Amino acid sequence: MSTEPISHNRDFNERQLKRIFWRRIGIVLWVSFFCAAVESMVFFALFDPAYLGQLSSFAVDLSPWQGYALGFAFFWAFTFLAALFAGVVLALPRTRLAKRNPHT
Amino acid sequence: MSKQAETNSPDETIELSLYKAHEKVYPREIKGRFQFKRKLAVWVLLGLFYVLPWITWGEQQAILFDLPQRRFYIFGLTLWPQDFIFLALMLIIAAFALFFFTALAGRLWCGYACPQTVWTEVFIWLEQWTEGNRNKRMKLDKGPWTREKILRKGSKQFLWITFALWTGFTFVGFFTPIKELAEHIWQWTMGPWETFWLFFYALATYGNAGFLREQVCLYMCPYARFQSAMFDKETLIISYDEQRGEPRMRGKKRRESEAPGDCIDCTMCVQVCPTGIDIRDGLQYECIACAACIDACDEVMEKSGMPKGLIKYTTENALQGKPTHILRPRTLIYMVILLGLVTAFGVSLANRSAIDMNVIHDRNSFYRVVDANTIENVYTLKVMNKGTEATEYAVQATGLDGLEVVLGLADQTVSAAPGELVIVPMKIRASKQVANQRIHGITVTVSDVAASGENTSENIKYFGYKK
Repeated sequence: MSTEPISHNRDFNERQLKRIFWRRIGIVLWVSFFCAAVESMVFFALFDPAYLGQLSSFAVDLSPWQGYALGFAFFWAFTFLAALFAGVVLALPRTRLAKRNPHT
Repeated sequence: MSKQAETNSPDETIELSLYKAHEKVYPREIKGRFQFKRKLAVWVLLGLFYVLPWITWGEQQAILFDLPQRRFYIFGLTLWPQDFIFLALMLIIAAFALFFFTALAGRLWCGYACPQTVWTEVFIWLEQWTEGNRNKRMKLDKGPWTREKILRKGSKQFLWITFALWTGFTFVGFFTPIKELAEHIWQWTMGPWETFWLFFYALATYGNAGFLREQVCLYMCPYARFQSAMFDKETLIISYDEQRGEPRMRGKKRRESEAPGDCIDCTMCVQVCPTGIDIRDGLQYECIACAACIDACDEVMEKSGMPKGLIKYTTENALQGKPTHILRPRTLIYMVILLGLVTAFGVSLANRSAIDMNVIHDRNSFYRVVDANTIENVYTLKVMNKGTEATEYAVQATGLDGLEVVLGLADQTVSAAPGELVIVPMKIRASKQVANQRIHGITVTVSDVAASGENTSENIKYFGYKK
């Protein structure tokens, strides 16, 4: 991947970087949504959402739908973090890194 | 930097082409043998979707995924969370079927069966009814907001929104009894979840089929990205016969040319493409294999008095004049796995027991002495009724002479309501003379007291009396 700036026009650079940023956020949101749907399906096939309310240290009264929603939100949030992390780490800096002398 | 210089900067040209602005695709309507099949697929698949929830089976909605109660009704079959294996098997079968058909005939799924394609198709029909054909639609979009434009666009939106809402309603009808849901909507007394899912799914349908369309396939679909892994040189693809078609030319140039290719460059294949590509550029990942270009080109070829098939279903090997094999290691392996999975699914479904049982030995002691002649092992017995009616079960133990089962219940049978899990302390008694080894293997059988006598059993350990 190039470490050169995209263009020497700063305005253009900023526009493009913004675009790339929002595009990445969109991808991360969509990918984590998709995976959270699959994860919820597998999880709730094995566990009754009613148990979720009993797991906490204080009493929570959850209806099944609230349990499903909570589980899905949880999966989405954590998958989002995982995907976001991957996205951030995958994206190399676009500007030139510090000049280094080659090791001799 | 001047504006002129900015747009001419080479870096910028590259970036702009990487993120080109989305251009709306106006697919031209076309008739033909493949479009007939696609239309048929739309009617069958959407017909199933919209009709199935209204069918009743016995006293129950034939297909109902009751999530709060955690049971799925599928035509008289009731699946419990314990039957998760069937769902998993079904998903694996679906995946391998997808692999198999992709290896064999390319993107059949995308072109004919994918919900994205199917609903988009219907939304395009609605668009055609209200806004007219391709040229009229393009002109309408470019033109000013006249009364006609408002009327046409308005009626399109009305049809789209109505259809999307009906779709959302049907979708929710798979998860909550649809007739009650209809009543709730009629009286406007829906619960918060019904409301949310109805509008969410309606919005998703409206957005995906009305606006995003081919962009879902291009940017969001994971299958589009990895389908090439199933492709080889013998997979059916839609391809333009370059050797026959080139050099393409039309009009005066064509009449004056000595050896024009068969392609008359009418661009019909481009105009009918729902993803807006030119198939003559070669195989592209945007192509969802809907075969609209084949139908369009065949029609043109017929009119021009040339043989059909300038664009056709073919394989890479066939294009290079090599033979094509339908049976090859890739398809055979997919087929064997698929058949194996389907058989496993069928067999396990046929042998599925309506009783689920589990026996756990007491952790504290191997055995207890009851009297001078008798010992007992203590267990916890779990019985689940996976049937649809309340049932009474008898429990028996076999494997040693004179085994006696004593349940921690007043009457020595287990009664379970449908879906109920009953947990019972269970003692199994045997005489010291018979149970004289350290460990014996015995079998516990739980059977329906009623005439059907359906039963299931589990092999367990029995700790004997050994000095």
